[in-house]
Amino acid sequence: MANLLWLQGGACSGNTMSFLNAEEPSACDLVTDFGINVLWQPSLGLELGDDVKAILEKCISGEIQLDIFVFEGTVVNAPDGTGEWNRFCGRAMKEWVKELSAAAQFVVAIGDCATWGGIPATAPNPSESQGLQFLKREHGGALGASFTSKAGLPVINIPGCPAHPDWVTQILVAVATGRAGDLSLDEFQRPKTFFSSFTQTGCTRNMHFAYKVSATAFGQRKGCLFYDLGCRGPMTHSPCNRILWNRVSSKTRAGMPCLGCTEPEFPFFDLAPGTVFKTQTVMGVPKDLPAGVDKKGYVKLTAAAKGAAPAWAEEDIFVV
Amino acid sequence: MSETASAPPVDAAADERLRAEIAARLKAGLETEAWPRAETSEMVNEIVARLQHATPEDLDAKLTIAGVTDHTIEADEIEQPCETCMYYLVHRRFCELPELMIPVEPQWSCRLWRI
Repeated sequence: MANLLWLQGGACSGNTMSFLNAEEPSACDLVTDFGINVLWQPSLGLELGDDVKAILEKCISGEIQLDIFVFEGTVVNAPDGTGEWNRFCGRAMKEWVKELSAAAQFVVAIGDCATWGGIPATAPNPSESQGLQFLKREHGGALGASFTSKAGLPVINIPGCPAHPDWVTQILVAVATGRAGDLSLDEFQRPKTFFSSFTQTGCTRNMHFAYKVSATAFGQRKGCLFYDLGCRGPMTHSPCNRILWNRVSSKTRAGMPCLGCTEPEFPFFDLAPGTVFKTQTVMGVPKDLPAGVDKKGYVKLTAAAKGAAPAWAEEDIFVV
Repeated sequence: MSETASAPPVDAAADERLRAEIAARLKAGLETEAWPRAETSEMVNEIVARLQHATPEDLDAKLTIAGVTDHTIEADEIEQPCETCMYYLVHRRFCELPELMIPVEPQWSCRLWRI
């Protein structure tokens, strides 16, 4: 039996909604098949007010062993570092986060806000938001760069806006069943099993990427979304086209550009007008090239691939 | 399900007639805004916005605003022919930028070129 506590800070509840849609395994499977005891969760917990507070205090004192502390949303520090804009059970949420993280065997940050600040931390960041151990790419965050939980791991970051439900439940199962040692984390503390490949990996538009045929409008079945519509699939680490959403699709499969939501900089370019859904260029060359590709190589490859494109690559082959 | 914004059904003869018409206008000296090239995304957005406000049937306006030329332009040490542009359909010899949608030749160029 592993005790799990889930709290929300500066959050929209999107990751909770995502979590409740998990299938492999489902949220119910966590309880019935994998021995997870949900002490409290904002959308599932039965307790209110002082009863919730009592659970939190018992976790901190050790009266209840806290095995997994899950946090969703940013750690709000406003105003002036006090955190009073986000109060919970009689005190600033940031204080609960600090003490519960110190008491937990494992700490798991779910979603962009909890991992690196996400949209609330976009400049000028009026809520003074931070992720648990990062603020965008900067290591540190609310718990500090040197933080490790009782089990010796830093915060396990599962980013996304929201995170895919099965990334969440599969990591929780690994931790709850004593397999946390098998998890290897990347430089941003994301489980490599999910975040080493790219969103582009498994994308049905890869043939259009290869032959440099561009989509020119949302929802088109033909064409790659990277060249014009701002898709970040070639430089975003996620398994969105390997572990499909609702088991059937992904943004790019549906004709919607990847927004890069599993990367620390999300939302990119601070949402400046004209930067969303539009590939940013310098003299016609994308500012952000596919990971590991330089400008010279990109220009050469593109010219050659374009010249070699077969006729079918320029047609809609997904016909009824 | 039909596509939301794609090239109209291909009429090769109509493409050829319009391509020849454009070539003739450019050869006759139509002065297009080939410079400055769209160096930044902001410049791209401005030019595209002007194209969106142009009358769709006004071919001269489209060619002028986009800076179409009947020869390749080199900028920032990179040649910018239609044939390497993302909006170019190789087999139809056609520019699929929604605001242009015109038949072209591979060695032509415009300042909205992107790779």
